[in-house]
Amino acid sequence: MATIRVPEQKIILCGEYGVGKSSIFRRFTNNTFVTATDRKSTLGLDHCSKIFSPSDRDLKLQLWDTGGMERVASITSSYYKFAEAAILVFSFDNPASFHVLSQHLLDIVTYAENAKIFLCGNKSDLIEEPPQITDSEMDNFCEQCHNLISGIYKTSCKTGEGLEEMFVDIASQLVNMNRSKIELQSIEQHGFKIVPYEEESQDDGCIC
Amino acid sequence: MDEEYDCIVLGTGLKECILSGMLSVSGKKVLHVDRNKYYGGESASICPLEELFSKFAAAPPDESYGRGRDWNVDLIPKFLMANGSLVKLLIHTGVTRYLEFKSVEGSYVYKGGKIAKVPVDQKEALASDLMGVFEKRRFRNFLVYVQDFQADDPKTWKDFDPNTQNMQALYEKYSLDKNTQDFTGHALALHRDDSYLNRPAIETVNRIKLYSESLARYGKSPYLYPMYGLGELPQGFARLSAIYGGTYMLDKPIDEIVLGEGGRVVGVRSGNEIAKCKQVYCDPTYVPDKVHKKGKVIRCICLLDHPIANTKDALSTQIIIPQKQVGRSSDIYVSVVSYTHQVAAKGWFIAMVSTTVETDNPEVEIKPGLDLLGTIRQKFVSVSDYFEPTDDGLQSQIFISQSYDATTHFETTCLDVLDIFKRGTGEEFDFSKIKHELGDEEQ
Repeated sequence: MATIRVPEQKIILCGEYGVGKSSIFRRFTNNTFVTATDRKSTLGLDHCSKIFSPSDRDLKLQLWDTGGMERVASITSSYYKFAEAAILVFSFDNPASFHVLSQHLLDIVTYAENAKIFLCGNKSDLIEEPPQITDSEMDNFCEQCHNLISGIYKTSCKTGEGLEEMFVDIASQLVNMNRSKIELQSIEQHGFKIVPYEEESQDDGCIC
Repeated sequence: MDEEYDCIVLGTGLKECILSGMLSVSGKKVLHVDRNKYYGGESASICPLEELFSKFAAAPPDESYGRGRDWNVDLIPKFLMANGSLVKLLIHTGVTRYLEFKSVEGSYVYKGGKIAKVPVDQKEALASDLMGVFEKRRFRNFLVYVQDFQADDPKTWKDFDPNTQNMQALYEKYSLDKNTQDFTGHALALHRDDSYLNRPAIETVNRIKLYSESLARYGKSPYLYPMYGLGELPQGFARLSAIYGGTYMLDKPIDEIVLGEGGRVVGVRSGNEIAKCKQVYCDPTYVPDKVHKKGKVIRCICLLDHPIANTKDALSTQIIIPQKQVGRSSDIYVSVVSYTHQVAAKGWFIAMVSTTVETDNPEVEIKPGLDLLGTIRQKFVSVSDYFEPTDDGLQSQIFISQSYDATTHFETTCLDVLDIFKRGTGEEFDFSKIKHELGDEEQ
């Protein structure tokens, strides 16, 4: 049974420990939210795929979380490999998490050269008046990094606000950008995944 | 760092990362520390190229080498057997999802100053120029025997007990000549020396089966190589460990492994901080007083701007030089990878020549391997000691891995890891403890 494979795009979450990357991941995965920083709630969770259909073309977004490696150590460079997009996350109640973004950006452009990069201000429910990080500061940041940033979003994992919109927008940008690329993907250029024997016969023999 | 853990793992080489992953998955609270700023220790792939040159105190590479960032150079050359234990570990742990592989294009063996394709099936055996007409038939019969052999079905043993009779006897049963024995034992069964001849034949029969089953999986050769280099492997297992709750610290010097009553480990000290633990798992470099030197391995990294002659311009290949062909007692291995694996800039090849050191002049020992490579643009030689732990760790609860040997695949690596895991936990690793498909969370 030949099925057309929906193109899958790896998207990675980047940013400081505690800005809400796992919360974004949890919202994406099963649309839940927990307040406590509870390692157990993400234990064993690695990445998760969901199909989006912007402009009538199916695209599978595969979102990856860091596994908390950034807490004390650095993230492995292999986390970035094969990523088509990266979401740079900071939190509105923590200006330091915003000001350190250039460091994370550097990691992305080093290890995931071709990834499209998006900026996400999380915890928008905690924005004070006046805000600790203003819109113009965010615009400035994008200008400073030579317009590498393809989109800016404000989200709140607590209320769920802005998340669906963010992923839909990212999906539609990736569809447009990758339209030709996906079609041209040849086996020559790419390696293969190793899969257990039994799965090989199936058409969608992808283990993830 | 001042916390209490079940296990502390020191060093992020491949073996330690696999162990860390397995321990975390088994529900242990794991702290994984490396004194270096990067993951992988000796199993890292060096990037960018400038770093490799400075590591070996060479003048920086010129422009012809392309972008330094396009290079990921392994320090220890190895391939994965497509049906071997590391692939099984990767599948069972799900770490395979972090990696992409390419099949190694060719597998060659050295005979009389030239290289020839390793014949693996009956058709290739008949076409091979390694043997004369009559020898080909005998070799074919031998291959058929191995293919039909089932360890649990004595009917397939054909009046030969491989558990008690040795390999020499099996060769003699099929009247294979010395040359054929040579490439069978070294290029198919991948033995490093000839001591296997006197051991029960079952070992070698199983190794040949592993070779041909591996070959059957992806074609061209039994070997696989990961995109972006071998350094991706330890990182994949490190992520597995982190996903299952393991804590990572890099750039953290280890000053002392703290022992308590009866010489049992109670913690690890870095500066003024002490992390408590019940067990330590580490590579030999963290415990110089608990390991002894067993030998030396020489590895020579060669950067080439052309493929190897007589390999049909293969973008990746393995060449085995059986010991006897060059008057040695251990084999010389040549492995070649290239830009197609994202480990070198466009048009470049990385060849690695390695062997177990037998003389005081190891560089001369690898000459037969270097001679096969043609013009070498840049050469980096390293000779490293091969260490083994002095005890099994049961008393101290410090479990030490062996250094990486000269073999070109990961079979011995996995055996060591599984053995350490068993000693440390008292049980065989239970593969069912891992969530099988990650599919769980996406459906």
